[in-house]
Amino acid sequence: MAILELEAVEKSFPARGGPAMLAMDRISLAVREGEFLSILGPSGCGKSTLLQIAAGLMPPSAGTVRVAGRPVTGPPPEAVYVFQQYGRSLLPWRTVRDNVAFAVEHRPGISKARARELADVQLAAVALTGFGDHFPWQLSGGMQQRVALARALAAEPKIMLLDEPFSAVDALTRLDLHRLMLELWEKRGLTVVLVTHDVEEAVALSDRVALLTKRPSTIARLVETGLPRPRDAVEVRETPRFLELRHELLDALLTRHAPGDGHAA
Amino acid sequence: MRPERLLRLLPGLAFLALLLLALEGAVNAGLIRRALMPPPSAIWEVLRDLVLSGEVLGPLSATLRLVFAGFAIGSVIGIALGAAMAWWAPAYRLLEPLVEMIRPLPKSALVPPLMLFLGIGDTMKITSVALAVTFPVLVNTLQGVRGVDRVLLDAARTHGWGTARALWHVVLPAALPFILAGMRTSLGLALIIAVLSEMLTGQGGLGFLILDMQRSFLIRQMYAWLVILALVGLALNALFAWAEARALHWQARTP
Ligand SMILES: Nc1ncnc2c1ncn2[C@@H]1O[C@H](COP(=O)(O)OP(=O)(O)O)[C@@H](O)[C@H]1O
Ligand SMILES: [Mg+2]
Repeated sequence: MAILELEAVEKSFPARGGPAMLAMDRISLAVREGEFLSILGPSGCGKSTLLQIAAGLMPPSAGTVRVAGRPVTGPPPEAVYVFQQYGRSLLPWRTVRDNVAFAVEHRPGISKARARELADVQLAAVALTGFGDHFPWQLSGGMQQRVALARALAAEPKIMLLDEPFSAVDALTRLDLHRLMLELWEKRGLTVVLVTHDVEEAVALSDRVALLTKRPSTIARLVETGLPRPRDAVEVRETPRFLELRHELLDALLTRHAPGDGHAA
Repeated sequence: MRPERLLRLLPGLAFLALLLLALEGAVNAGLIRRALMPPPSAIWEVLRDLVLSGEVLGPLSATLRLVFAGFAIGSVIGIALGAAMAWWAPAYRLLEPLVEMIRPLPKSALVPPLMLFLGIGDTMKITSVALAVTFPVLVNTLQGVRGVDRVLLDAARTHGWGTARALWHVVLPAALPFILAGMRTSLGLALIIAVLSEMLTGQGGLGFLILDMQRSFLIRQMYAWLVILALVGLALNALFAWAEARALHWQARTP
């Protein structure tokens, strides 16, 4: 069953002194409950825009978004968006613990103390026990990203919308975060939509990969990875199926990316 | 106080002491007329008596009351209006011309008309101080709230924070460094306007005393009250710097 549906979603931005710039052209996509889906595309193709529309943070110019069958007009309670600029998304005046507590402390019936307890549970889940009293600026990029993940988890969402969450950290930290993300997804029965420009990341983590074209973006391909579950984010990279998919998607991405090919897709 | 800090203050303090000594010498040598500028040691004697007799307390508390009341009221109004103008476009369009009209006006010039309406009591003086305080706070709050990172606001939205609570828990704290900078400017203005309104109304407080002593040709007394006023300014600044550092303790120390 689809928990998140995009139907003919379009987005255009006003352009200075010209016609509006069409960033996204009639995108339709149904995300199944419990799946891990990646949206793959080159930089600037409209991935963040698409995910923010799905998160109810930005209205589409046309088309509809539905979460759990209801049309989205603002951020739905089932979904949490994790920002590409994760460092900027944390409240710098709050400690790590209070940043995570931010996800729940405003909810009715939850005291500040209870919110902090819940925060500590999520910090443990992302292996940040003992960092609750630090401020975000005292942590490395990878650790800040884990704080942002812990905050999203604390909201107990059905759907996590992740915008290039692992692109700004070093390669080793990235693999570490991949494993963590798979573990969390398996344990908590989440639906994850991950936006990325990294083919290997998309294949290694996902059940399906949606390949976007350049602007105005449309879905060029929707590939079922068919890789086994549960899977290890590192070991899976050595399987023939992984290599095959990597080749296929890289190829598609590179030809579509080639100069002068903008309209052919 | 830490020894390094004391060491850094030392040259400035030594220079100040040297100047006082030179002044003392110049007055005693007849280079400066004693009637206009008594030697610092004579001023010190008056000052000491004012403090030891407790005579200083009445005027001091009168002036501080004006400063604190006006500062508090003006800050609240400035923050509220500045945030409203930044957050809600109709408020900006409504208030911006008015603010731009009154803002450049030296608020000291408003004391005489305010006296017509409010008389010469504390109400008028506190209103004058509050008026002077409002504008720097307003303008800084406006800028600070406008500058709040979009990402922070969207983070609040995706986590289900409503607008009003996000304003209080996200926007205002994020704008706090700007707001406090405005308040620091305003604190200096508050003291100026408090002293000026005391001089213009001829009633109570440090400002009135300085003028009154000058008119009565009690020159040593005049200088003693002037020194007290200087110390008040110093103490207010130190108090604010301390409060500001506490409020912004979370800011990353930039090396
Ligand atoms: N608020 C906006 N106003 C105008 N143009 C925008 C806005 N947001 C994004 N764009 C443009 O839309 C395109 C897609 O942006 P984005 O979704 O950030 O791409 P991606 O995340 O794939 O790198 C880019 O060309 C970008 O310049
Ligand atoms: Mg992006």
